[in-house]
Amino acid sequence: MEKPYILHMLTTEKNLSPFDVNMAQDAGWQVTMPYLCIAESEVRSLIQDAIFSRGPSGVKRTAAFIGGRDPELAVKMLNTARESMVPPFEISVLADPSGAFTTAAAMVAAAERELGKKFSTDLTDKNIIILAGTGPVGQIAAVLCAKSGAKVAIFGRKKEKSERIANLCNAFFGEGNIQIQAQGNDELEKYLPTADVVFATGAAGIQLLSAEQVASAPNLKVAADVNAVPPPGIAGIDAMADGTPIEGSTSGAVGIGALAIGNIKYKAHQRLLQLMRDSASPVYLHYDQAFAIAREYIQSQS
Amino acid sequence: MTTRTILHMLSPRPQVSPFDINMAVDAGFDMIFPHASVEPSQVYSLTQDIIFSRGPSGVKKTAIFIGGRDIGIALDMMETTKQAMVPPFEVSVLADPSGAFTTATAMVALVEKQLREHHGQDLQGKRAIVFGGTGPVGISTGVIASLAGADVTIVDHLSLDTAMQIAEEYNHRCGSTLKGTFASSGASKAWLVTRADVIFNATKAGIQVLDEEMLETAERLKVVGDVNAVPPPGIAGIKSKDLGTPLSTAPNSPGVVSVGPLAVGNIKYKLQNAMLKDLLQLDKPVYFDFHEAFTRARKLV
Repeated sequence: MEKPYILHMLTTEKNLSPFDVNMAQDAGWQVTMPYLCIAESEVRSLIQDAIFSRGPSGVKRTAAFIGGRDPELAVKMLNTARESMVPPFEISVLADPSGAFTTAAAMVAAAERELGKKFSTDLTDKNIIILAGTGPVGQIAAVLCAKSGAKVAIFGRKKEKSERIANLCNAFFGEGNIQIQAQGNDELEKYLPTADVVFATGAAGIQLLSAEQVASAPNLKVAADVNAVPPPGIAGIDAMADGTPIEGSTSGAVGIGALAIGNIKYKAHQRLLQLMRDSASPVYLHYDQAFAIAREYIQSQS
Repeated sequence: MTTRTILHMLSPRPQVSPFDINMAVDAGFDMIFPHASVEPSQVYSLTQDIIFSRGPSGVKKTAIFIGGRDIGIALDMMETTKQAMVPPFEVSVLADPSGAFTTATAMVALVEKQLREHHGQDLQGKRAIVFGGTGPVGISTGVIASLAGADVTIVDHLSLDTAMQIAEEYNHRCGSTLKGTFASSGASKAWLVTRADVIFNATKAGIQVLDEEMLETAERLKVVGDVNAVPPPGIAGIKSKDLGTPLSTAPNSPGVVSVGPLAVGNIKYKLQNAMLKDLLQLDKPVYFDFHEAFTRARKLV
């Protein structure tokens, strides 16, 4: 009998996300074992426990998933896991806290597609506003855009929090190579006239950009919203929008809604899980690989 | 549909060990269910919950694994499962906290075999020192070697009280005759080594407990065993794959041979795999702890 595929699923929370468990099962991980309320300090011993008991052929059928809600913590745990490997006893690891890495990757890749398709341009030097950008999806979207050469500003209700998150993005995720700006929402009117792209990454059911504000953005090209529950986070973008012109935009901007993003997110997430099964050597996957795989998927569709 | 096999894995720790989960999956259990942070007081009712829902044929497809890190607690928990069984509603139980029973029995059985092959002797009356002797693998190693007739001293690296207290506890519990001591300095370790026939190392990975200078004092050493697979070796000169390999770092003990961590790990793996499989393959329910593990380890080597 071939050894079953085992995915050890670690989370800092009391529960694993059933979404992630379903995804892992459907990607062919036959045993999805939960490890709950995990502290960063436990990762090393858990990983070393996981790598030694199945032999060199078994480690190829073993991997770890890191969930939770905090992107910084998840990346630290991923790094610790990677450093804990004892070759040839090493396994692949995927971090995707709150699904934020795959969601942000899908959203940014979809926006990039629309920039190319409708405006013959890319993310380089674009002014990008991330509304309610201090959460997990917002911060990672900011990082991916900034690493792609865009000028990014994270907006939030409290400027101090935006600043804290921007600093985290620049120093930790960007390793000092990116300069994301931080603003409070009261500065939004000043920034809208120059904005090329707007992302809304807020909680469900809150409108972050009104129809008047959309109309007041003369350079707006693409707007995307991860919120699937009405009212939309950006007026004029419904959940099904997928490169659909936004009614009331004075610049011919197109919208991308939650379901279109969710579809790409699903594919990227699935491919990352499959990559851990199929890769000949161990892989360590976070938002960068999620973005690369989302871009690949989009290209395969065009 | 055939009844699926279920292994309920109990641990007093916040997590059931991924090592044991991998082993259980590979032993062929269809369903692995972790029960973490289990208090000893919960074991009775958990056991009865486990035995009563699948009917007399279902219990034959159900088993319990007891993990954690504390071998005393694991042995107590196993005793509680026995008391909770209501024949014919009875399932097999395997206790192997920290993998200590299978690791320790594998090491002792391999060392015993080398002692016979290279020195024509058994463990009876041999002076054995267990470094890392107050951890789960160390205690198990001490108890098993003692029950096999060796004169065993378990060594704690910090505290005499800890070592003596643990020796007394497990002598009472398991019928062994362990002595306890502590050795933190090179000089005290060298002194212990002088008188030893056999040295077992069960200290944490990555710590060298005996260097070449300390080993130089060994005058009657015959076999050394080490479970530590992460460099540097716990005992200077031991290599991972050693199995009856001459140890060059103890020049004053002619004929001394070593047993390395991969040799131990190999037997440990086979042992744990076979015991997991046999939980469901024997006619009646079984209770496997270090006694069964040692009997099997001796046959395996």
